[in-house]
Amino acid sequence: MLSARFFSLQIIDGRVLKDQREKNINTFEYIYPKRGRIISSDNKVLVEDEKIFSVVINLEQKPSLESIKLLASIFYDQLELDEIEQTVKKSISSGNQEVVLDKLSQEDLSKFLVRNSELNGFSILETYRRVYDPHPSIFHVLGHLGYINDSDKRYFSERIDEYDPKLWQKVGKSGLERVYEKELTGTHGKRYFQRNARGTKKILTKEDEFIEGDDLYVSINYEAQKFAYDILDGRQGAIVVIDLNDFSIPVAVSAPSISANDLSGISSSRYAELLKDQSRPLFNRAFMGLYPPGSTIKPLLSIYSLDQKFTNWEETIFDDGFFRIDEQRVFNAWKEGGHGITDLDKALVESSNPFFMNLATRFEKQSLESFFSSASFGTKLCTDCYPHQFSPLINDAWKQKNFGRNLFKGDLINLGIGQGYLQITPLHLSLISAMVAKKGEYKTPFLSDSSSQENFTLSQNLESSDWERINKSLVDVIYSPSGTAYRVNAGELKMAGKSGTSQVVDIKSREEYESIRENPLLRDHAVFIGYAPYDEPRFAISVVIENGEGGGSVAGPVAREVLEVLLK
Amino acid sequence: MSWDIRSFFIFCSLTAILILGSLTIFSVTSIDISYFLRFLLISIFSILIVTGVFYTVNLNRILSFGWVVLVLNILLILSVELFGKEINGSKRWLDFGFLSLQPSEFMKISFALFAIQYLRYFNFKFNFQRSIFLLAILFITSVPIIIQPDLGTGLIYIIFGIMLLFICGMDRKYFLALIGSGVVLSPVIYSFGFTDYQKGRIQSWFSSEGNISERWNILQSEISIGSGELFGEGFLKSKQNQFNFLPEADTDFIFSIYAEQFGFVGVLLIFILIAIFIILSIIVLLQEQSLSEDLSTYYLGAYFIFVIGFSFLINILMVSGMIPVVGLPLPFFTKGGSSLLCFSIMLGFIFSSRGFLRS
Repeated sequence: MLSARFFSLQIIDGRVLKDQREKNINTFEYIYPKRGRIISSDNKVLVEDEKIFSVVINLEQKPSLESIKLLASIFYDQLELDEIEQTVKKSISSGNQEVVLDKLSQEDLSKFLVRNSELNGFSILETYRRVYDPHPSIFHVLGHLGYINDSDKRYFSERIDEYDPKLWQKVGKSGLERVYEKELTGTHGKRYFQRNARGTKKILTKEDEFIEGDDLYVSINYEAQKFAYDILDGRQGAIVVIDLNDFSIPVAVSAPSISANDLSGISSSRYAELLKDQSRPLFNRAFMGLYPPGSTIKPLLSIYSLDQKFTNWEETIFDDGFFRIDEQRVFNAWKEGGHGITDLDKALVESSNPFFMNLATRFEKQSLESFFSSASFGTKLCTDCYPHQFSPLINDAWKQKNFGRNLFKGDLINLGIGQGYLQITPLHLSLISAMVAKKGEYKTPFLSDSSSQENFTLSQNLESSDWERINKSLVDVIYSPSGTAYRVNAGELKMAGKSGTSQVVDIKSREEYESIRENPLLRDHAVFIGYAPYDEPRFAISVVIENGEGGGSVAGPVAREVLEVLLK
Repeated sequence: MSWDIRSFFIFCSLTAILILGSLTIFSVTSIDISYFLRFLLISIFSILIVTGVFYTVNLNRILSFGWVVLVLNILLILSVELFGKEINGSKRWLDFGFLSLQPSEFMKISFALFAIQYLRYFNFKFNFQRSIFLLAILFITSVPIIIQPDLGTGLIYIIFGIMLLFICGMDRKYFLALIGSGVVLSPVIYSFGFTDYQKGRIQSWFSSEGNISERWNILQSEISIGSGELFGEGFLKSKQNQFNFLPEADTDFIFSIYAEQFGFVGVLLIFILIAIFIILSIIVLLQEQSLSEDLSTYYLGAYFIFVIGFSFLINILMVSGMIPVVGLPLPFFTKGGSSLLCFSIMLGFIFSSRGFLRS
């Protein structure tokens, strides 16, 4: 009977039990490589890993009372004796290598190393800390790191081939840190060793080398980015610039923001405070904020109308400051008295609402939808902006889903002046500006990797002369004294653009607006799109200043100054 | 003095067991070779000395002091309370510097000497009073062991004592009555007599889930044994011991380490050696019974063979997870002076019986 028992244990189950033993004894730990830096197009290191030194408990050689006392005396200004004893106890009972003192200064490190031989049971652990450039302008683009959670695991397992959640402790939670997690992380090393039952003895058997993370070069121009953030001067809003050469993004600012360093080791109460903050500093307005474009949609609608032959450059209407669908429904335009006899050029330069409302009565749902699709509504806009929101494609299906009805004629008329259901992100606004500047030929914008960039064409039917005339109208917006953005005062910059104001609340008359204006949060958003130089466009820009009211007078000058920095 | 073939085999098997035991002890402690030598020498010397003493001194003389031995042993146990050192929450050891002794281990011998002295006076004729007297002595003397507290050793002492009386011819009805009352009383003993530690050991054996720390010893023991597979990992190559996964590897669970190093082949070898030793010893003893008028040495020898065989059996059943963990050492393997000395003395008694000496 006994022999049978041993036969069953040793011969039948022997292999299994042996494997079990090997599993118990052989273990490994990951070696975390240095994470790659992120470097701006003007060669500024935006974030890098900094080596930090901590005093930890060495489990193979437990600290003696003498060495605990010595450690307490060396760091008498930072550590209490009981505190160290507690940590030692905790470390021994849990078998984890507990940290006694974190982030040693150079001076503290040398203090420790001088007495190293007497400090039995303590050792120095080298780790890395992510250090960001402190300027708040870069936080939203770069993102931040945090401890991995379940949703991160799902996200990365879909995107990274040989993804192993055990490997990733801290991962990119947003921005480029998240999109380029794999490249930045590098390859983890593995240290294989045999350990005893209590984990106090470790014998190294094999080591797989780690590979440091790649540096990431991004299109952000640090100087311009910083400038753009600072010029918003505490106002809420977003500025996005697209380089028309390759459609990279040199500026993507969302304000207000925080310094990315503030999020590492943040207390949960402070984090909750940030989340609750009315000004939403953690929300990336540049890629996520949806704003009615107001009049800045007019160039795009002009292209659509010309493409569909709904109008031409000769057609005029008489703008008396009102637009009537019928006797009951009369819309107030922004300019009292109206613009008089107005053609497309004048409608763009002076931003005539009645002209575009009139034009919008001819819009067809189907062609409008396909045109807006070709302008990247309803699709992903950028290869590596994270997180980012697409601007909804307004069609019957969209309205059915949200309001249970098809689009009315009135909806299209509202759309004609960039109000109503139409909502666009600042990123998309700058892309629309780029479409106009590049005569309808555009590409997917990107921050770092252009490999999945696609080419798009906005319209097949427009003549080159049409594009020239649109361009000229947009130049006149700024340089003609009657232009809505004449106050931009662009001077030598050769800038073209279109201003807009987008309504925060739906109002019927100017009097009504004056009354709600009392509340700064209900004032119109100032919107501006533009590009420069107009004869050979290099940058396209969008500026949204929340509750800033004047598209031409408030957002426009901001755009001019940012473009000036970029073209310097 | 000519060697008879049986004695030769007994001698060889015993020597092999002693060497394997010493090697295993050495491999577990594996600090220095002196450990191995000391262990081997102590066992050989104590066997030789005890055998030599019994050969020169008339066994009758020794047996006539049986009651003195018993009393002295009990006094030693009580002195542990005063001078003993505490291990694992129970005081059982007397520290003599070079070796620490556990006097309760020797009670198995002392009681036997006393009982044989008593019974041979009555020519091994049992009656009611004598049976009750001996059983009473057995139970009374178990009290100091149990209160140490060491219930395991105490119960094993009682079981061995009863077996001795049975070997010596006590009526089977007492035996059955004792088993019966044991069964009836076992829940009472379990709930009042056992410490939580002991209950945990038993519960861990009966429930497959159990809590992990209670099952840990058995699990690790099975892993050790299984890892040996057919031929074993080889001498000094027990990883379970090297990395301290098997607790009490040098005492109760030493056989698991042996099995890991020498595999199923090694295990069978030990079984065969033990079988040779026990079977041949019994044959020699039966011869003794037919030769001698005085049955003292026969009964004593048979009892000690039983103790050795039963200790092997229980320990091996325990380490292979077939019965709950009881603290019964493996003869000639377990590190510990008391058990080694104790088993050596038993061997001395066995060999000093005339059946062996004659050959």
